[in-house]
Amino acid sequence: MSEISAPAAQDSAVRERKPVGGELIIPIAGLLFTAYYFTTITDSPWTAQVSAYFVGAILTLLIAIFLVKTFIAVSGGRADLGLGPLIAPKEFVRKRLILFGLMLAYCYLVQFGGFTLTTFVFMTAGMIVLTDGGNKRFIAILCAFLAFGGWALFILAFDTRFPDGPFEKLMEWLL
Amino acid sequence: MDFQASLFIELFARTFSFWYVILPAILLGLVVGAIPGFSAANTIIILLPLTLAMDPEVGLIFMVALYASSRMGAGIPAILVNIPGTAGAAATPLDGYPMTQQGHAHQALSISFVSSVFGGLLTTVMALLAMPWLSQVAYYLHSVEMIVVMLFGISLIATIAAKDTLKGLIAGFFGLMIGLIGADVIYATPRGTFGFLELYDKVPLIPALVGLFAVSEAFVVMERQSIVSDAGRQRMEEAGWAETWEGVCMAFSRWWHITWTSIIGLVIGVVPGAGASIAAFVAYQQSKTFSKTPELYGTGHIEGLVAPESANNGVTSGTLIPLLVIGIPGGATAAIMLVVLQYHGVTVGPDLFMDDPNLAYGPFSAMAVTYFIMIFTILPLARYMSKITVVSTNYMAPLIISFTLVGSFVSREYAFDMYLAVVFGVIGYVARKTGYHVAAILIGVILGPLLETYFLRAMKMSQGDIMVIFSSSLGNVLWVFLFISIGIPYYMDWRRARQKEREA
Repeated sequence: MSEISAPAAQDSAVRERKPVGGELIIPIAGLLFTAYYFTTITDSPWTAQVSAYFVGAILTLLIAIFLVKTFIAVSGGRADLGLGPLIAPKEFVRKRLILFGLMLAYCYLVQFGGFTLTTFVFMTAGMIVLTDGGNKRFIAILCAFLAFGGWALFILAFDTRFPDGPFEKLMEWLL
Repeated sequence: MDFQASLFIELFARTFSFWYVILPAILLGLVVGAIPGFSAANTIIILLPLTLAMDPEVGLIFMVALYASSRMGAGIPAILVNIPGTAGAAATPLDGYPMTQQGHAHQALSISFVSSVFGGLLTTVMALLAMPWLSQVAYYLHSVEMIVVMLFGISLIATIAAKDTLKGLIAGFFGLMIGLIGADVIYATPRGTFGFLELYDKVPLIPALVGLFAVSEAFVVMERQSIVSDAGRQRMEEAGWAETWEGVCMAFSRWWHITWTSIIGLVIGVVPGAGASIAAFVAYQQSKTFSKTPELYGTGHIEGLVAPESANNGVTSGTLIPLLVIGIPGGATAAIMLVVLQYHGVTVGPDLFMDDPNLAYGPFSAMAVTYFIMIFTILPLARYMSKITVVSTNYMAPLIISFTLVGSFVSREYAFDMYLAVVFGVIGYVARKTGYHVAAILIGVILGPLLETYFLRAMKMSQGDIMVIFSSSLGNVLWVFLFISIGIPYYMDWRRARQKEREA
């Protein structure tokens, strides 16, 4: 009985540890950026450096306190360096990565494809991925309606300077 | 600048006669305010040919109506989808969004509308009456005092927005460092730009807002089927006019809360550059500090929604005071108004109140009339707007990403700004998932350039002596308040814990 309960208790203690690895990303990014920023102001006059040193010093101090607190928690067994909440729930990791890739593609392609067409393609692809295949016909009609509505509201009505492409040029020629 | 009752009545009657200008401006303002990336200032710039062609009085009424309604519009997506339309509404989702998640979107929107309208209306009337005195506030705040005011803003947001104050401060100061990217205002030396020419002119705010709030939210929200919980979804489907009315009553029952938080907004609005975002957070913090139930803040507490919405609408009238009285615009929209007035040959300042009182007092009466008309036009829309929250997140996430990303392109027309929004989206996602509040980072990015400008001025005046930041009596008083404001939450927690111990 005790042989079974001892590992179970150990397992429970491990599970109770708070994963704090993800919480270190912002402080480490802040620290690295501050160090990089300081290298870019070495030749500036003192008056132009002082605000950066002031803000950077406070940020470094705050991060140092946070790192010490985290180190104490990890060494005391109350936390570990797992990423935990950052990637949870794990079943969404694949979808998130695909959507992120689509987002980068959107930023690149919208410059050539224009707002309406690229938005239609991005939204259709994004919704199909998120709904695991979903009703493709419904999604395509919905996205066509939204993209066209966006064009009518922003470009036609408000004359907003969205990236233009073949569709916008065609409509401009037609209207 | 003496005030006369007959002039007041005449002004309002005259402004009401311009309802045909105010109504379309309200509808336009609500739309542009609700879309991240479209601020009132941008819209007024786009419509500049129209406003310049108008008579100065009509043009000013149009701009003021658009400005006031866009402020209210910014709170709508903040409550419904956790994406503030502008930075001024960054404190609104703290309690507005949890209400939506619980299925109380109708009530939340009604509370927001009533607080905005009455906060705005009240401060507009107060501004009219107290204009000669309030305009003096700006004279007492110089570079040194403004440095403390900026730090005040960051520390308040850190203590309010984040559950862990240390994490909140790290997020705020990280935002400040990002805000320092670009060429400095005096020597034009590029700093922290990673070699990107597009960053020489500071970090643009719209990609930061879009990335931190919209993109990151889209990636977080896709984990759930719907924004609202299952119980909330049922409540939403059954909700109707009764819930809208319930929200109105909830807001009215807190009339005193609306009053004093909107006054905070008015006073902060008078200080050039301080802005609606600081006012909203200061009001939220004050509301929480003096509340009997501070532990409820952040969970969908009514007063937590009333405070920022009243305050950011109080700012609207506050920013017009220094513009009209001393010719210093209190914000971006006020600056554009100044350009339009100057185009028409109008010189703002004390003389304007004697030479052309209709034009001088006109913006305030226009604002009051706008708020009055707005309550009748927007309240009926609350029940229809809130339906958006029951749409599946599978459809919402791609829609939010595409429309807001392209919105970040609009202000400068750089494709770079869309990639920048993606970078901020990644920062926002990590921040949301690990307990660093995105609002603290955003406010840091906003305040960074302002803090540096005041620092540079103070350094120039003191010939590089850092101790200049403790050289002003008013500044030193503000330093004391700053440390007290950081210490108060810890003290209150300690007191409550002790009280509980005694009771036990």
